Amino acid sequence: MNFHVDASTGKTLGLVELSGRLDAANRSELLKSFALWQQQVDLFIFNCTKLDMIDSSGLGAIVACLRKALERNGDLKLAGLNPKVSMVFELTKANKLFSIFPDTGSAIQSF
Amino acid sequence: MKTLIIVKEKDYEWLGPVFPGIHPLLLPICNKPFAEFLIDFSVLAGSEAIRFVSDGPLGDVEQYCENGNRWGIAISYGSILENDDLQMIIEKNQRYCVEEKVLIVSGYVFIQYDRQHDYKTLLASLPDGEFLSSNHGSLRLRGARPAVHETIDRVPLSLTGLDSLDVYYRLSMEILSYASSPYVLPGYNNEEYCHIGRNVVISKSSEIRKPVMIGNNVQIFEGSILGPGAVIGSNVIIDRECTVTDSIVLENTYIGEHLEVQNRIAAGNILIDPESGISIVMDDPHLLAGIKKTGSGKKVFQSFVHSIAALFLIALLLIPFLLLSPILILQGKWKRSKNSYYTSGARKPVTLTTTTIERKGILSTLAGAISLDRFTLLFSVFAGKLALIGSLPVVARHAGSMDLNTIESWYHAGVFSYAEAEDWPVNGGDTAIVERYFAVHGNPFLDISMTIKAFFNRIHETKTL
Repeated sequence: MNFHVDASTGKTLGLVELSGRLDAANRSELLKSFALWQQQVDLFIFNCTKLDMIDSSGLGAIVACLRKALERNGDLKLAGLNPKVSMVFELTKANKLFSIFPDTGSAIQSF
Repeated sequence: MKTLIIVKEKDYEWLGPVFPGIHPLLLPICNKPFAEFLIDFSVLAGSEAIRFVSDGPLGDVEQYCENGNRWGIAISYGSILENDDLQMIIEKNQRYCVEEKVLIVSGYVFIQYDRQHDYKTLLASLPDGEFLSSNHGSLRLRGARPAVHETIDRVPLSLTGLDSLDVYYRLSMEILSYASSPYVLPGYNNEEYCHIGRNVVISKSSEIRKPVMIGNNVQIFEGSILGPGAVIGSNVIIDRECTVTDSIVLENTYIGEHLEVQNRIAAGNILIDPESGISIVMDDPHLLAGIKKTGSGKKVFQSFVHSIAALFLIALLLIPFLLLSPILILQGKWKRSKNSYYTSGARKPVTLTTTTIERKGILSTLAGAISLDRFTLLFSVFAGKLALIGSLPVVARHAGSMDLNTIESWYHAGVFSYAEAEDWPVNGGDTAIVERYFAVHGNPFLDISMTIKAFFNRIHETKTL
């Protein structure tokens, strides 16, 4: 997962690119990294374009990231969910928790 | 009249990857296998015999339909080659087709009919040849007399080629939406738009919104909403606070807590969007999302309770064991064998000595009835190899075999099984669903009562481990 800070719109946003699978094997890596990223920014966009698969552990990690962001008056938005990942969000009703955008550009504009 | 049903593999090859393990002729459409719709129509058309022919395997269909006694007709089966044309198929089935008028159904097509209609008279009036066709198949008559009656402009039938998931989904929803179905559908139907099968447990706080169809052995937990537009197959558990709308849940599926299934097909652990055809295989087995794993403290307590109960059973059965087993060994009715079994989801096989008692004669019947064949296994409960009650032990095979992949995380082999306690038919699907249910919802004290039930149910059992 890649992280970089974007300030092109005047707001400091943390752009996180998730790729491959997000499951029990790498959820703790995401949570640890997210705690570090929060030292730099409060507003996040998770770019899921390259995220192929997510299970309940991975979903739980993203929800935990959202909770941590909200605790610090920040936010976390999702962009570029592929249909399979999107189905998991719909099945678990997690799509109702997040602002989901078709691409990173529209997610950046929404802040 | 007779009916010849010709289905070729190429017509349904799209189905294999989508619903692995389901024979296309047994694909449930509103909880009724596709083949049964064909049989129903054949009977309405006046057929007294049906012959299924295919270039693919028909074993599952034969196992399900058998010889047709259930429908009061004779059913037979035959093989054809992939490139056989209709003429060749008729020649190969000459003995079947000779003498009588034959209705030939070719293609993987759903015949949309109305059970109120008199097809027997209609077909009797039609001439030889094709009388209905679509891109995916046709209906024709052979050996019919030349038509002497008036020409029929429109046959009250239509064909739907089952060529995609979307067609399958829309067909199922269409059938579900009939207030009074033109087809005979399974389940009780004492009000419109609602069919409910046997042994369905619906929690008071759950909601059923018509149209809905529920199969047999279904459990719907608190706060769940089914429908409108839900087809729930047999052996399904819908756990708490679930919503299932405009969706098909095929048999042997567990829908975990708080899930929302909308415009989807759920088949085991596969979730499919019928419109796009996109499917996902859930990593949480059988959509077991939200299931809390048993804590280690609870496991220790459960193991302790199982050990105490096993000790009690050993004390109870020790004297009968010491008296009966030597006699039965001498009579050759007490057979022991060593096998490797998977004992838990950890997939580490252990070697267990199992006993088979041939239940012939008073003493062996008595020994079997009081589960003396399980006596030595009770000591494995102390060693932590087996639970007192759990899943039916699965024989371990070489690494990489199918079994390794089918051992689920909830699996824990027991001396007795929950399926025996519930007296459910011990076959793969039924057993799995009841064992999974108790693996999720069981507790040590419930296990004691289930063990007692299993013990008494085995009195009438003829099989041993």
